[in-house]
Amino acid sequence: MKLTDFIKDRGMLLLLHLVCMCAAAAFFTMTGYSRTNTVLFLLLWLLVLMSWLLATYLRRRRFFQEAQQILEKVDQRYLLGELLPDSFYLEDRLYRDMILRSNKQCIERIRQIEDEQRAYKEYIESWVHEIKAPITGISLLCDNRRNASASLPEDKPGFKESYLAINLENQKIENYVDMALYYARSDQVYKDYLIRETCLEDVVYQILDKNRLLLIQNRVRVQTDCKETVYTDEKWIAFILNQILLNSVKYRSESPLFNIRANRDKDGVTLLLEDNGPGIPPEDLPRIFDKGFTGSNGRDNRRSTGMGLYLCRRLCERLGIRLWAESEYAVGTKLYLQFPVNSYIHDARKN
Amino acid sequence: MHIFVIEDEPLIRRELKILLENALYQVTAPDTFDSVTRQALDARPDLVLLDINLPGLSGFEICTQLRQQMEVPVIFLTSRDNSADELNGLLLGGDDYISKPYHAPVLLARIAAVLKRAGNARPGETSLFTKGGVTLDIAKCRLLYREQSAELTKSEMKILHRLFREPGAFVSRMDLIEYLWESRIFIDDNTLSVHVTKLREKLRSIGVQDFIVTRRGMGYRI
Repeated sequence: MKLTDFIKDRGMLLLLHLVCMCAAAAFFTMTGYSRTNTVLFLLLWLLVLMSWLLATYLRRRRFFQEAQQILEKVDQRYLLGELLPDSFYLEDRLYRDMILRSNKQCIERIRQIEDEQRAYKEYIESWVHEIKAPITGISLLCDNRRNASASLPEDKPGFKESYLAINLENQKIENYVDMALYYARSDQVYKDYLIRETCLEDVVYQILDKNRLLLIQNRVRVQTDCKETVYTDEKWIAFILNQILLNSVKYRSESPLFNIRANRDKDGVTLLLEDNGPGIPPEDLPRIFDKGFTGSNGRDNRRSTGMGLYLCRRLCERLGIRLWAESEYAVGTKLYLQFPVNSYIHDARKN
Repeated sequence: MHIFVIEDEPLIRRELKILLENALYQVTAPDTFDSVTRQALDARPDLVLLDINLPGLSGFEICTQLRQQMEVPVIFLTSRDNSADELNGLLLGGDDYISKPYHAPVLLARIAAVLKRAGNARPGETSLFTKGGVTLDIAKCRLLYREQSAELTKSEMKILHRLFREPGAFVSRMDLIEYLWESRIFIDDNTLSVHVTKLREKLRSIGVQDFIVTRRGMGYRI
C-alpha cells in the first residue's frame, strides 16, 4: 500500500476538509477575526488532519502487510478468511465475514470434486483390473488356436490368420487400457513403485516378446546391446519402452530397423532407442512430449491420441529419468533415456 | 516337468493348460479351491502358477502355506499389478510376479527362467541331428556331410535346428522367424531369405544338393 494511493483513496475526505476550511476562513474574515488568527487556526486544522491521516495510513498498512504475509505463508490461500488479523474497523469485519462465507462454499466444492475424482480414479483402477482378465483370455485363446497343429475341427484354412489379427487388435486394446491406468496413476507414482536392480536387457526382451507378432508382421529387424543394469521400477520402464516401440512401429520406414543400445558413463546409464522411420520435422520436435500433440505425422492418416509420449515424459519425471529426443527428417529418430547414478546405493555397496 | 496351475477363471485356466501342454509341460489345473494347498502338495509339482484373487483363500495365503511345507518355485499370475502386491508376493517367497494380460512368449520365457534358477532346467535336447546323411552338430555349430564340414553362424544354426526338429514337415516362414526371435535373433522376412540362401551355398560347398525344399505359401522343409 503506497502513501500516494492511500491519499488518492481519501480524495473525497480531503475535498470535504478543503471546502470546510474555505468556508471557515470566509466566515472568520467576515466576522472580523484578524488574518493571523485565521491562518493559525487553519494550520492547526491541517496539522490535526494530517496526523490523523498518517496514523490511519500506518495502521492500515500494518494490517494489510500482516494479511499479505499470512497469504504468502500458507499454501491453501483460500483459508485466508480464517487467518485475517483482528481489526477494529467495521468494514474489515464485514468483508471478512463475506470472505469466510464464500470460501466455505468454495472449500466444500473442492472437497466434493476431490471426492468425485478419487472415486473415479478408483473405479478406473478396478475397471482396468477387471478388463485385464478377458484380455488375457482372448490373448491365450488366439495364441493356442494359432499354434495348434490344425487338429481342431474349427481350424479351416485362413483361421490362423484371423486369430493372429484378433490377437494384434487385442494387444491394441491392452495398450489403450494400460495408458488409461498409467494416466490415472501418473500423479502418484510414489504410491506405486518398487525400485530394484533391473537389467535393461530383460525389460527390452520382455517388450520384444510381448510385441513379437506385431513386429514380425511389420517386417521389423531389431538389434539390441543393452546389458547394463539400473535401479528403477521395471513395470514403469516397461510401459515407457513399450510406448516408444509402438510409436516406432506406427511411423516406420519401408524396411524398419530398431537399434537399442545402453551405455554407461560417469553420469549414469543412457539407453538409446533408435529407429529409421520418417523422423520428426524440426518444428515439431520440441513439442512431441506435450499432451495431445499429434504432429504432422500423426494428423495425416494414422490414428494418434498424443498421449503416449506425454505419459512417457510424465513417468520419467517421476522416476528421475531424463528423456529427450533427436531426429533427422527422413532418416530416423533417436530417443534417449538417462538413468542417473544412484549415489546412495553406490555408497551403500561400497561399505 | 510338472506345473500346477491355480486359476479360478475357467477360460484362462483351460487356455493356460493348453498353452503349457503345447510347450511340453505336464499340467494339473484343479477347478475347486477348497483344499487346493493339499492338492498342490500331493501333486509334487516342479512349479506352481498362482492367481491372487481366488474364492476363499487368497493366493498370498496359499503361497505361505505351500512355502511352509515344500520348496517349490511359485510364480504369481495376477491382474493386481500395483507394487504393494508385487512386493508382498516376492516377500512371501514368490519367485516371479507376472501381471495380466500376459502374453504366451513372455510367460513361457519367464517360466523357463524360474525353472532354470531352481535348478530344474529341462534336460538338454540332443545336440546331434541327422537327416539324409547330413548331420547338424548343435554344440559345435557345424554341418557335417561325409568327410566334409561347414561352419554355421548362430542364425543359420537356429534355422537348421528348427527344420531338423521336424524332418519331412514344412515349417512356415512365420514359424521360423518366431523361433529365431525366441532365440533373441530379431530378423525380418527378407533376412530369413538371405540366411537360407547362404545355407544352401554352404550345403552345396560340402556336396549336398537340394537339401532344403521351398514351397510357396508353405515354407521350408528338409
